[in-house]
Amino acid sequence: MLPNLKVENLSCVRSEKAIFENLNFDVFPGQNIEIIGSNGSGKTTLLRAILGLIRPENGTIRWLDDDNNFNEYRTYDCFYQGHQLGIKNLLTVFENLNLTHNAKGLKKEKIYKCLERVGLSNINDLASSLSVGQRKRISIARWLLKDFKIYFIDEPFSALDDEATNLIERLIIELNTEGCSFVMTGHRPSQVNASRIEI
Amino acid sequence: MSNSIFGWLTIILRRDLLIAFRRSATYITPLIFFLIVVTFFPLALGPQESLLSSLAPGVIWIATLLASLLAVESIFSEDFRDGTLDNFFISLEPSFVLVFAKVLIHWLITGLPIMAASIIAAIVLYLPFDSFLPILLSLILGTSFMSLLGALGAALSLGKSAILSAIIVLPFSIPTLLMGTSVITSSINSQDYFGFLMIMGAMLAIGIPLLCLLTVEALLLNYD
Amino acid sequence: MTRIWKILKQWFIEMGSPPLFYNWSSKIIPWLGITTLVLLSLGIYWGLFVSPIDYKQGDVYRILYIHVPSAILGESIFIFMAICGFINVIWRAKISGMMLKAAAPIGMSFTLLVLVTGSVWGKPTWGTWWVWDARLTSTLILFFIYAALIGLHSTIEDKTKADRAVSILSIVGVAIIPVIKKSVDWWQTLHQPSTFTITSSPSMSPEMYLPLLICLLGFYMFFAFSLTLNLRNEVLDRERSKAWVKQNFNS
Repeated sequence: MLPNLKVENLSCVRSEKAIFENLNFDVFPGQNIEIIGSNGSGKTTLLRAILGLIRPENGTIRWLDDDNNFNEYRTYDCFYQGHQLGIKNLLTVFENLNLTHNAKGLKKEKIYKCLERVGLSNINDLASSLSVGQRKRISIARWLLKDFKIYFIDEPFSALDDEATNLIERLIIELNTEGCSFVMTGHRPSQVNASRIEI
Repeated sequence: MSNSIFGWLTIILRRDLLIAFRRSATYITPLIFFLIVVTFFPLALGPQESLLSSLAPGVIWIATLLASLLAVESIFSEDFRDGTLDNFFISLEPSFVLVFAKVLIHWLITGLPIMAASIIAAIVLYLPFDSFLPILLSLILGTSFMSLLGALGAALSLGKSAILSAIIVLPFSIPTLLMGTSVITSSINSQDYFGFLMIMGAMLAIGIPLLCLLTVEALLLNYD
Repeated sequence: MTRIWKILKQWFIEMGSPPLFYNWSSKIIPWLGITTLVLLSLGIYWGLFVSPIDYKQGDVYRILYIHVPSAILGESIFIFMAICGFINVIWRAKISGMMLKAAAPIGMSFTLLVLVTGSVWGKPTWGTWWVWDARLTSTLILFFIYAALIGLHSTIEDKTKADRAVSILSIVGVAIIPVIKKSVDWWQTLHQPSTFTITSSPSMSPEMYLPLLICLLGFYMFFAFSLTLNLRNEVLDRERSKAWVKQNFNS
């Protein structure tokens, strides 16, 4: 089986300091990678470098395309969830899902179904009235909008109650069986089955 | 493919316009600011009709530039702070379209209200009725160019003081100011003003691709 | 063709790497300094003491030997900065970003010099320090644009980031400066018939023209000289934690 993503010799230097050096890993379908490091160790920078938000100093990032070739560009959407969840207070729960680029061309029913799966029923409330846990659920509902091959999630388990943690763990396993992979970051190893990289 | 770009454009437009309408301050503040600045000129210079009508083109344009700069900072700052911008760049959609949509929204919530208010300003500054059309035409072109420039300024000064983006943008807005006032002045003197409009249009036509691309580059800078 | 391109690129990369630049620039600095000194003293002496007196303005016109070269420099430094900026944005060549940073204050000083010498010249000839003439106005705007570039650079802490931000702005600047000049021209003809034309002395005698040319060359050399000095400071400042700087200054 070919990996969906190959990261080779990746190095990043910022302000004359090496943030990470010579990172190598492959992301196979259905497998997870967890990047462990303390605050400010460059976990977010790594995700951004892989996704092309910043130019790394060294190394290559290669993506598998439909014809089983490795390219330096991506041909499919990946899911990215940064530190901030990108939830707009002045939009309703439904609009927060519907008006994102990933929901382009999706039917309303599909979006209702996603919200149902994460247990959000108050879909016409403004997001400003929601609790922290419920906001997190909106962001999780976004995972389900499409079949993404790789999910890049920055600290999925920070500041979560037990119920939401369970939900995420269950979803990750579910999506893994469908062949999706997760690249996650965290301060300490999580319960999820993943190969771990320390930076 | 063009269909999908259009779909993305409408998603951003719908999202940002919804947010703008639910927070009415975004489109009312530039409008009020414009009217206040216009009001200050008669108060400072005295109410003589001849003086005011001869100064009116400049007054309208200075007020326009300042008012459209007022909302510049908000073009990208919220999306940058809450991480939406990251997602836009990571998606496979062209980031050029994103910047274009953002500029369009800024124009819709500042440029359009200002154009409406400019007619009030023209009336209270004793401008002749014939000059209303040239005022509107020059404002359409000028405010959209200001929105483009403002987006670049906002991208370069993201997370910094709003006064910085004003200092960046204002020297570059001088051609707009000069051409805009020239359009109105020529129309009052019943001279041909079409040439000035064409130059403003040409600036806009070159500005859209050039400034949008440079704004993308400037936005990516904030992730480094 | 591609080979030549590759060799050229390689050469540029090598010449631009900070330690190498620091080495070869230390060799050319004396030469730059000497040529600047020779050209400037020759040109200014010739212009101020030897060249004939202007029959209309008298000795006052001699300020032209400072005024005109600085005006030309103020604009050509901006074009130089935009080229550096373009290279920096496209190829992320660090040294071009530093060059941009090093050139900006020099260009701004020259533009300030134009404004000051211009108004000093204006007082005796026109009887006023300042007129809203098209050229004066567009020079003033150029000064503001320099100020905007330098201001932007100083607000961004990360130097490489600041370089790139200023690069982007300088590209916009070089695109918009011709528009500014043209629009200021139109604006002036619309508002008043231009009473003063600074495009004076259309038939300059060679005795006046030659020293001006030498002064101009001297100013360019001065720019190269001060740019190199500035750039060396910048390179040292940015690379102070690198091994080669520590070696150079400990031994």
